[in-house]
Amino acid sequence: MHRTSTPAVRTEAVWKIFRQEAEEVQAVRDVSLRFERGEFTALAGPSGSGKTTLLNLIGGLTRPSRGEIHVAGQALSPLGNHELAALRLRHIGFVFQAYNLLPVLSALENAELPMLLQGVGLEERRARVRELFLRTGMEGLEDRRPGKLSGGQQQRVAVVRAVAGQPALVLADEPTANLDSAASDALLEVMAELNRELGVTFVFATHDTRVMQRARRLIRIVDGAVASDEARG
Amino acid sequence: MQRAPWWRIGWRNLGRNRRRTVLTAMGLAVGYCSVVFMVGWAGGITAELVENATGLVSGQIEIHDAGYRPDRSLYDTIGGRDGADFESLLATITRDSAVVAAAPRVFAGGLVSSGEATSAGILMGVAPRRETVVSRFLDPLVSGRLPEPGANEVVIGEEMARQLGVAEGGEVVVVGSAADGSMANDLYTVAGMFRTGLAEFDAATLVMPIGDLQTLLVLDPARIHEIAVATGDPATATTTAARLAGALGAEARGLDVAPWPELNPVLSEYVSLADSMYWIFIVIIFAVASFGIANTMLMATFERRREFAVLLALGATPASVVASVLGEAVAIGAVSVAVGAALILPPMAWLHAAPLNLDWLYGNVTLQGALLTPSLRIEPNIPAWTWATVGLVLTALLAALYPAVRAARVPPADTLSGV
Repeated sequence: MHRTSTPAVRTEAVWKIFRQEAEEVQAVRDVSLRFERGEFTALAGPSGSGKTTLLNLIGGLTRPSRGEIHVAGQALSPLGNHELAALRLRHIGFVFQAYNLLPVLSALENAELPMLLQGVGLEERRARVRELFLRTGMEGLEDRRPGKLSGGQQQRVAVVRAVAGQPALVLADEPTANLDSAASDALLEVMAELNRELGVTFVFATHDTRVMQRARRLIRIVDGAVASDEARG
Repeated sequence: MQRAPWWRIGWRNLGRNRRRTVLTAMGLAVGYCSVVFMVGWAGGITAELVENATGLVSGQIEIHDAGYRPDRSLYDTIGGRDGADFESLLATITRDSAVVAAAPRVFAGGLVSSGEATSAGILMGVAPRRETVVSRFLDPLVSGRLPEPGANEVVIGEEMARQLGVAEGGEVVVVGSAADGSMANDLYTVAGMFRTGLAEFDAATLVMPIGDLQTLLVLDPARIHEIAVATGDPATATTTAARLAGALGAEARGLDVAPWPELNPVLSEYVSLADSMYWIFIVIIFAVASFGIANTMLMATFERRREFAVLLALGATPASVVASVLGEAVAIGAVSVAVGAALILPPMAWLHAAPLNLDWLYGNVTLQGALLTPSLRIEPNIPAWTWATVGLVLTALLAALYPAVRAARVPPADTLSGV
């Protein structure tokens, strides 16, 4: 793992505290992490450990109670909602557990949506998506709507959608949770290849051992805090 | 500015719950049809009232001596007691491009008798061939023919004939006050009968050639009471009247050139009221329709909260999410307009060309001297129909605004949590 002057993500003493009636829930506690570009990292932990909340904080989908987060060198706390949306559009891709493709768009249209929002021209959009579809074994399925794709195929489209806009990092929340073993392995292989060949930074929130085994860095989250952080071969 | 396919997404979303889309679109389409039909029918009623008020007996414009109205004195003739060269006036009037025809008239009050029966009535002197171009009540006649000048012939209303018990070829005695103060009376043959549908007019009007009435009333042939003017379009009568007043030098000559809105202000006010009612139709019907759209869009957006959260997470701005929902609303509005227009325009065109007879439902109606026949007649009103179309799309947009704003405020993290 190499360190560059501007990491993909840096968190500084980040806390996220939810209030439920009179009770205070510390979902994320004093997390300081640095994710370099090109990492393939898993945030592991049991359900309710705070890994999804941490992912949402990094993605600018929710704001920390204390601390600061930098994405691609940009501190998030000064940004308004529109600026956060613009930052997500430029620098962050998302992969969700339930795929979350738009059912009225074809696989190709779903995959190119972030680029449309970025204002990328038609030819470049189509070229990037077709190349990624080829890499992920989705060629020939471009015109299918999500309802006509298997879970594994839908998640591959979601991965293509996440990386096609060339973000600084991709945040994947339990991407294999709804897939069987074969589909999970295939999807992980696709993401590992994209990480290896295109240098896309992946950060997973997962409790899937297959994801943990493939990750080159494994951060264990327990009760909202970093319990361990180990680099792996 | 994000150039995302919001319209495409909106359009395709219509197909996700087809039954709901069809029901909503049909609701809007029926509302649209109602507005278009009511506006067209109201236009038909207004057009017929105005046409009959200004074309059946009266003209769209009437020219009198400035002192003639409202007393209608026998002595207040055009040009005063010396009369006027009304042929010259007629020539000036008919030179105006908006004028179709003009005809002179003389009026007086009188009694009409046959045997023991007598009716009080209006004696109307006309130039028969000119009159039938300006007005419609003498052409066609119910029976008989137009009176010949100098032959002591008259035509009378059908109701007057019934009250007097006289038929075509029968004789009536006409008695009136002559301009020289003497008693005017003479015997006339009934050459024909007319029926306008205006009960009072048909019961009280006797028509004879203008020269014969001038002779009876001892009026100089140059003295007439009225020039009735027919124009191509009643809507332009006021501007045409102003132009004619200038051409005739009306002020200097003591002439009153009055368009029909001035002659029949109640009818004019009714037309204005009917025009304003178009907007009331549009507002009421589309206000009702807006609740249907708002309900549909609220349900649709609630069902798709996760999709909006995904869009927002991907970096779409809230404005883009609003645009996607509004795109769907506009799509449903456009479909509704297309369906509504396809349903209503063919029968409207047919009813415009061939008004449906409704005499099984109701009889003739008279409003301020204007006849309304029992028919379902449609008149095109392109501006109102255009506004109805724009209004429907605007209704769809406005009704979708609240659901759209709600969709744009979906919290992505909470909505996508665990999915």
